[in-house]
Amino acid sequence: MTPTNQMTQAVPTLTLSHLPPVQSIWQLRFEKFRSHRLAMFSLGFLILLIVICLMAWPFSALLGIDPNKTNLLYRFQPPSAEHWLGTDDLGRDVLVRLMFGGQVSIAVGLVATLLMAIVGVAIGVTAGFVGGRIDAVLMRVTDCMLALPLVPLLIVLGSIDLTKIGISQASATSPLFVFLRIVIIIALVDWTTMARIARAGAIQIRDRDYVRAASVSGANGRYNVIVHVLPNISTPLIVASTLTVGRVILLESTLSFLGFGIVPPTPTWGNMLTNAQQLIISAPHLAVYPGLLIFLTVMAVNFVGDGARFAFDPRSESGKSH
Amino acid sequence: MKPLLEINDVSIHFGMRGGLFQAGPTLRAVDNVSLSMNKGETLAIVGESGSGKSTLGYAVAGLRPPTKGSIQINPARPHSSGRDPVQIIFQDPFSALDPRMTVETIVAEPLRLAGVDLSNRRMRVTEVLEQVGMPADAAHRYPHQFSGGQRQRLAIARALIGDPELIVADEPLSALDVSIQSRILNLMGDIREKLGISYFFISHDFGVVRHLADRVAVLYLGRIMEVADADDIFATPSHPYTQALLAAVPRIGRGRRLRGSALKGEIPTPLNPPSGCVFHTRCPRATAICSTERPELLPAPGRSGQLSACHHKD
Amino acid sequence: MLRYVLSRLSQAVLVIFVMSFLLFVLIGLMPGDPIENMFEGNPSLTPELIGQMRELYGLDQPITLRYWHWLMAALQGDFGYSSLYSRPVLTVLGPALLQTGKLLALTLMISVPSAIILGALAARKPNGLVDSAIGLFSFAAISMPNFWVSLLLIILFSVNLGWLPASGLPMTSDASFWLELRHLILPVMVLVMFHVGPLIRYVRAAMIETLSADFVRTARAKGLSEGTVIARHAVRNALIPMITVLALSFGHLFSGALVIETIFGMLGMGKTIYDAVGNIDFNLALVGLLLATVVVLISNLLADLAYAYLDPRITL
Ligand SMILES: Nc1ncnc2c1ncn2[C@@H]1O[C@H](COP(=O)(O)OP(=O)(O)OP(=O)(O)O)[C@@H](O)[C@H]1O
Ligand code: SF4
Ligand SMILES: [Mg+2]
Repeated sequence: MTPTNQMTQAVPTLTLSHLPPVQSIWQLRFEKFRSHRLAMFSLGFLILLIVICLMAWPFSALLGIDPNKTNLLYRFQPPSAEHWLGTDDLGRDVLVRLMFGGQVSIAVGLVATLLMAIVGVAIGVTAGFVGGRIDAVLMRVTDCMLALPLVPLLIVLGSIDLTKIGISQASATSPLFVFLRIVIIIALVDWTTMARIARAGAIQIRDRDYVRAASVSGANGRYNVIVHVLPNISTPLIVASTLTVGRVILLESTLSFLGFGIVPPTPTWGNMLTNAQQLIISAPHLAVYPGLLIFLTVMAVNFVGDGARFAFDPRSESGKSH
Repeated sequence: MKPLLEINDVSIHFGMRGGLFQAGPTLRAVDNVSLSMNKGETLAIVGESGSGKSTLGYAVAGLRPPTKGSIQINPARPHSSGRDPVQIIFQDPFSALDPRMTVETIVAEPLRLAGVDLSNRRMRVTEVLEQVGMPADAAHRYPHQFSGGQRQRLAIARALIGDPELIVADEPLSALDVSIQSRILNLMGDIREKLGISYFFISHDFGVVRHLADRVAVLYLGRIMEVADADDIFATPSHPYTQALLAAVPRIGRGRRLRGSALKGEIPTPLNPPSGCVFHTRCPRATAICSTERPELLPAPGRSGQLSACHHKD
Repeated sequence: MLRYVLSRLSQAVLVIFVMSFLLFVLIGLMPGDPIENMFEGNPSLTPELIGQMRELYGLDQPITLRYWHWLMAALQGDFGYSSLYSRPVLTVLGPALLQTGKLLALTLMISVPSAIILGALAARKPNGLVDSAIGLFSFAAISMPNFWVSLLLIILFSVNLGWLPASGLPMTSDASFWLELRHLILPVMVLVMFHVGPLIRYVRAAMIETLSADFVRTARAKGLSEGTVIARHAVRNALIPMITVLALSFGHLFSGALVIETIFGMLGMGKTIYDAVGNIDFNLALVGLLLATVVVLISNLLADLAYAYLDPRITL
């Protein structure tokens, strides 16, 4: 460059009128997500599904159906005005049980994912931001967890006698505890994915100049993590969380199917299939609905995750390239 | 009057990762550096890549405590809330601004950290945006909507908002297009004149240094080779390393980057710096004493203000 | 290279010790009491006698000490008795491991080549019709609960069509190879479905990346046909990293095997662990899980070594 004497020249003021209207990164992404038709469709499906499952209370009250009441006189009823999808081997209404079961399965997926996100992000960001020994230990642990066979581990965890760790018999068998227990054991074996992603992001953001600039102005580690790191790693975390919801729903249904997850009478899509194998000859249709719902739900969740990945992909993020 | 910045015999070492049982080697990024700066003065730090310029600059900005020695800042104005005596601007304008924040939030961050209330922050944001030649309606946009040069202006605005006396500028121009470089350079010159700010100016580019600097320090492998007034350095460079650097700069036209300079050989690793004078492996004038005794930083013959660390200085 | 192998090996050993302790603690938390289980329903068992037995077996000691005793015995090859089978656990687990080995080997023999072929096909024209169809398939495969797929296949092929047996094992122990294979068809089908989804996605991504790499462009410029380019150059380079992906999928595959063995009534490792946990057979559950972990860890270790050996970019 030529060092000339332009110093005295007034600083030119720019105008921004040629720029597109103010748009946050989130607005841009939402528009891209909307263009991913399969993801939008899946999102719609999931919302509809959740609404239907939540209708279980008014619906069963209206028809006067108790989802857990067995009635051996009404076993294997075909679909009728009263039992839209018929009844199961214990004479319970299949549709209402599917609706209640969906509530449980989806709630486990969401709550366990939330728990994992909180734990994984806390641990991963700490490790990535602090580095050193904590980080080395975390990486070792996650390496191992990644390789372990989860389902065998989960059935052991699922069979643990909670009274042996000082929880009373009454609370150990309460529905809330049973729910929390499965949420916790799944989170326990699966939090490492989230931690790895959070760690990788934290390491990347930690050395960005904007974090340094904030430090010069007196920002401490906590400020930098909350204000700069977390918002900037939200992208991969949201994508990972979406995919995690699908994985958790599958794990929960598998565990419940095997009898180590949520146990009857509380219905879940998984444990509704437990008896289906014995009934394969007499009532094969009982094996169809719960599995189909698991399948469609997980598939929809995965499509939403794919849409999120697409919408957040920096390579296709407009306005960023210069 | 005390100097604005005093760097007293500062060394900055990095412990490298070792094996399981032995400690890693030590990397001496900055080694026994003493410098001082007066108020309003611009000190340029030049040197090849890896010579420790950024590390020293980070230490001045308080980002990295020195392993040894001390760094003192003596603000002329009384310290009050919302006023940071030292600020920093960086090379890469894309990494300098948080993509998730609006310009207003970014620029006002130093004030927010100092606890200044929102309405005062907003007022100051409008002021500094104007000072760096950005329109006020930039405040509600996001960084991705701006070009590299505009982003660098925003980074400068953030540095200015705390009303600093010293700005550490780590190669603020080298990532920009040439045409933009001169504009930002002029902006920095203007700001210095209007606000009386000092720059700790790190650069590869002698053309820029000549334009902006009052004094120049030449760094090599973490040590000062030569430090003097800018005019003296360019007129009568004393140290062989300085001479080699200047020889690599074409006299007319753009200043060349030092990266591909005419110096022969590679810069040695700071993990294991050469003995004696660290420059002796590449110095055309090296003799036996150069590889055994470390030369002190002493005035060049007949020029008391020009310090040079060489056994055979001019 | 030797240094690398040794360091990885020592790491794996350390992990196995840590895992064995954790599993020991976990298994101890399963319901019931080993002594009472052992003599279940025996009326002559008085509380005093139980106390004596507990002392005899060291169950009154703190868990770390008990683990220490267990470890010492285990290191000498004594892994204890299975209460479910009344046999040393190793004699139960040996055949089970073999059974699972058969299942997994057959699965890998089908899933790996089909993942490569489907992934490569999809990568030829990203976002084309073939790619979309294969993508949809792999998404579906990932999203399907494997136990449900098993039930559907049994309903279709065994109940309705009557073509294939619904169990994974022949009734007789001296069944012919072909009969055994016939029984394995359904379980392997499910496990392949379970395994192949993520693999296809991986192969596709890796292929797309290699297809745009320099050496592939050179090969194209030399006038080689697209098929040759893909088969000779791209596949090879895309597949070396696949070793790692495969190894990491081993734990996943094992999880699938547990479910499938349980449904198809095959006495493999998975079903054995499942039965052991269900019947509170402490020793069998512990050693079974540990064995599964060790097998998975070893396969990971081997994959890492193979990768290091095959990838020219890594020098050890
Ligand atoms: N955090 C760190 N850990 C270890 N070594 C470091 C670290 N930061 C810098 N170094 C090393 O210190 C030396 C000086 O680096 P520094 O970034 O200060 O050089 P520089 O003069 O700014 O170079 P450039 O012109 O490339 O920016 C280099 O050898 C570098 O590798
Ligand atoms: S001391 Fe010797 S090696 Fe060092 S710069 Fe001077 S002449 Fe060169
Ligand atoms: Mg630098």
